[in-house]
Amino acid sequence: MTTGSAPAPQNTRTTAEPGARPAGNRRAGGHPKRKGNSETVAGYAFLAPWLVGLFALTLGPMLFSLYLAFTDYNLFTAPEWSGLANFERMAGDTVFWGSVQITLIYVLVGTPIKLAAALGVAMLLNYKSKGSGFFRSAFYAPSLIGASVSIAIVWRAMFSAEGPVDSGLSFLGINLGGWVGVPALIMPMMILLAVWQFGAPMVIFLAGLKQVPAELYEAASVDGAKAWRKFISVTLPMLSPVIFFNLLLEMIGAFQIFASAYIIGSGSGGPAGATNFYTVYLYTRAFTNNQMGYASAMAWVLLIAVGILAFILFRTSKSWVHYGGDTK
Amino acid sequence: MSTIESTPTAPPPVQPIHKRRQPPRRTAANVAWIVGIVLLTVVVLYPLVWMISASFKPSSEFGSNQGLLPENPTFDNFIKVMEGVAGIPTWRFFWNSTILGIGAVIGTVISSSMAAYAFARLNFKGRPLFFAMMIGTLLLPFHVLIIPQYMIFRNLGMVDTFAPLLVGKFLATEAFFVFLIVQFIRNLPKELDEAARIDGCGHWRIFWSITVPLIKPALITSSIFAFIWSWNDFLGPLLYLNSPENYPLPLALRVFNDQSSASDYGATVAISVLALLPVMLFFVIFQRFLVAGVATQGLKG
Amino acid sequence: MFNKFSRRAGSGVAVTVAAVLMLTACGGNGGDAGGTPDPNEEVTLNFTWWGNEDRASRYEEAIALFEDENPNIDVNGTFMDFPAYWEKRQTEAAGGGLPDVMQFDYSYLRQYGENGVLLDLTEYEGNGLTTDGIDETLMATGRLEDQTLAVPTGYNAWSLFENPAVLEETGATGYEGGTSWEDYDAYMTSVTEASGGEVYGGTDYTGRIQNLELQMRQEGRELFTDEGELNFTQEELAEFWSSAQGLRDNVTIPARQLEEVAPKSGFGSNLTASEMTWSNFMGGYLGDTGAEDLTILAPPTSDPSVKDLYQKPSMLHAVSAGTEHPEAAVAFVEFLINSPEVGAIFGASLGVPASETALEGASLEGPDLGVKEYLDSVADRIGDPPAAPVVGYGALENTFLTLGTSIGLGAITPEEAAQQFFDEVAVTLGS
Repeated sequence: MTTGSAPAPQNTRTTAEPGARPAGNRRAGGHPKRKGNSETVAGYAFLAPWLVGLFALTLGPMLFSLYLAFTDYNLFTAPEWSGLANFERMAGDTVFWGSVQITLIYVLVGTPIKLAAALGVAMLLNYKSKGSGFFRSAFYAPSLIGASVSIAIVWRAMFSAEGPVDSGLSFLGINLGGWVGVPALIMPMMILLAVWQFGAPMVIFLAGLKQVPAELYEAASVDGAKAWRKFISVTLPMLSPVIFFNLLLEMIGAFQIFASAYIIGSGSGGPAGATNFYTVYLYTRAFTNNQMGYASAMAWVLLIAVGILAFILFRTSKSWVHYGGDTK
Repeated sequence: MSTIESTPTAPPPVQPIHKRRQPPRRTAANVAWIVGIVLLTVVVLYPLVWMISASFKPSSEFGSNQGLLPENPTFDNFIKVMEGVAGIPTWRFFWNSTILGIGAVIGTVISSSMAAYAFARLNFKGRPLFFAMMIGTLLLPFHVLIIPQYMIFRNLGMVDTFAPLLVGKFLATEAFFVFLIVQFIRNLPKELDEAARIDGCGHWRIFWSITVPLIKPALITSSIFAFIWSWNDFLGPLLYLNSPENYPLPLALRVFNDQSSASDYGATVAISVLALLPVMLFFVIFQRFLVAGVATQGLKG
Repeated sequence: MFNKFSRRAGSGVAVTVAAVLMLTACGGNGGDAGGTPDPNEEVTLNFTWWGNEDRASRYEEAIALFEDENPNIDVNGTFMDFPAYWEKRQTEAAGGGLPDVMQFDYSYLRQYGENGVLLDLTEYEGNGLTTDGIDETLMATGRLEDQTLAVPTGYNAWSLFENPAVLEETGATGYEGGTSWEDYDAYMTSVTEASGGEVYGGTDYTGRIQNLELQMRQEGRELFTDEGELNFTQEELAEFWSSAQGLRDNVTIPARQLEEVAPKSGFGSNLTASEMTWSNFMGGYLGDTGAEDLTILAPPTSDPSVKDLYQKPSMLHAVSAGTEHPEAAVAFVEFLINSPEVGAIFGASLGVPASETALEGASLEGPDLGVKEYLDSVADRIGDPPAAPVVGYGALENTFLTLGTSIGLGAITPEEAAQQFFDEVAVTLGS
């Protein structure tokens, strides 16, 4: 494999030079022990804002919600400890399992399609620089629309009986007579909506492609590698940290799909429960039925389930994600 | 795929022969590229074009006319939307959104890149634990955090100010950005840092003079997302802002679509279209900076 | 044993965090009621409502007027759409900071009232708050167990809308109003047939819980028992949904088409000639359809002598129990409810004004007058309102609607839907 071998040190020095002053303190390069100490100090200094945010804004509410998961909290009266009651109820809640099922389908089918679309388009855009600004903007535009009722209106119109999707399909001889009122077609609609808004991972892929040093391609060309070979041996390894990021984050995001489902299903999970995704159901429990205890229990079950998946991903990432900064 | 032969980035001057001759396969690839990308653009943009066209439909046409073109085109939707709400001019909502967006960009980029540098480059005690916690904060559905976070900001007396919407941004609470930048920093060759360290640079200097310029694509990406997400955020402003003159666009937009009184779908779509223009502009401007980073340029030799 | 152990182990840190958060949430109960209002004290009131931009400008006008009359009181108005409005209120109810005065919805009254977050206005009645001009049965909708917790702004009643323009297109004859259910079914069939499938006679009325309530009241029953439990069986519900199968198959607008035009209704999209809903939908439906006028008629009944309809408060005004300025808040509610100027500003847009003085000031005209005339015309059918909706009624109403849609789409049978509804009720009412 011709993975990203470290660039020649001489070159790197030229880039480093503007920032580097010959004079100044020489401590940093000293003994390894002292270096470790200074890194701890520097580490916490750089991390300070994040740490303040974690302890002041994030951790307290998270722990509070963990506590609520074991209570019957209903927003109006003080929470009372209820042990595992919420979790036991969840196990027997058919609506809950229905929401788990459709959410899993959405994640497993939607995420790979969206990522493939984002990567494919990013490669296309990276191929040429002429006019790419325009196309980049065009492809990103759908992701700019906020989650307002406008998107529900547009999306219903696209898949209605007279809409372009159905007209296009009937041109191919498939006639579904509109997707919107067919519960079985809601899932493909939701997935297509997610794929349509592929702008975020696309931009991240683009940024990643910009980081791939051009020499690697040149070297590969000199070796006589064809486009596909270059993609496999240069692009994919160099892009792997970004692919990993997009995969993880899109997966987490898909598990937590809320706004678009809530709007398209008019907040009720309809029609026929087809938009009752995990967090939509959680929200209904929390704010419509005022069962914040139950909702918190649901939230922590999701955290643990997705946490395990994320952990596995991190583990496997060691074998396929190559960081340019890691010494070989 | 097989037709794409040349290098994805601009052809380097090292191979001038390649560039001059323009073999026929290369022209064919160009044509395929243009046709493909234009087709894709049409498909992706059609819903947006429909939406823009719908903003010229009178409200009564929604539901009955699902076609692209309005039957009775009208400017009334835009006129109504620009009149403002309850004496508050519409530009005010745009202004509020802009302030929040700029604040979010500044806060997010500074705090997240600092945290990311620590996670990616510095070896300190507790790093694995904190990193796991950062990923953990991504995993909990935010609905169960609404009430305790509201309590915190209420007790700090920050309700009905922009502070609750911006403080978190300056404290890197959105792990998405920290993790994104971590991934980019880890992909940078470490030799750069080490060379600088030998030259006597401290961590701050390495971060500022070496890392930041090299992760420009990641920072630009973060800026774009931070702005757009802030621009479209509904829940935060809903919970923390009370005075209508502080409302950003997503809140103001709702007022044209209250199902319990009377929804004006035409006006709703019209203000959505208007709300799209500034973010579009922001993206168009910022994506221009999304070019090859210093590392790759500097290495071309 | 395990329970005890996990209780101790699990609570540790979290309880501390919780305690800190809960304690701070409950602070700030200022106002001691009954004190004398001080005209010189500078007071700021927070007031909130849901509604569209039209309502917002009307309230701004009313607030300006109130501030002119009470120079020491400053009113901060804030507004949102209905679902977001309640999300924010739920957060404030839990975390503190409910506004002083709130536009309130009937379906949330019991929840907030029973939990003591609303100020009891009883002692202000006749002492700062005039309620003489409001019909007693209507006034009673704002009371819970001898406490006056909210005052109705206006009222509406269940009704049947007809779109003359759509009807004319089909050439069918209009609905007479107030006849038998069979008669109404026949009318819908005639419209659908006359149009040749272009438009429909109406919408499947079994999709809405209010029509079940209407049929039950026509038999002398209420939806809920006095104890707040469902007053009908699962079989009866399945039977109710099944009863309209023939209509769904051939007459009423297909659920699939309704999904396509959502968030608009079939009637609002000019696809049906009639629909049953609350009388205050007049304004919204005029906007949705773009029609010049709409007819409002009495809903069908199985027994014209029964008092099956009732006056529902379209919305109410309530004061937060935590307000620091109860007198000023009550004065503002008094102004909103009774002032003829406010009546003139709002017309019937908050329902036909409940208070006589506000109604006089309103001098209704056009569609508003039509609604008022409708309400007068069905006076014989108006009976006592049911007890204030059970906690979670809004959620049940929504579940009912969703299940009705699912039946219409053929996704589930009426029997399955009834089963699901009862499961849901067990969760909602049982908590």
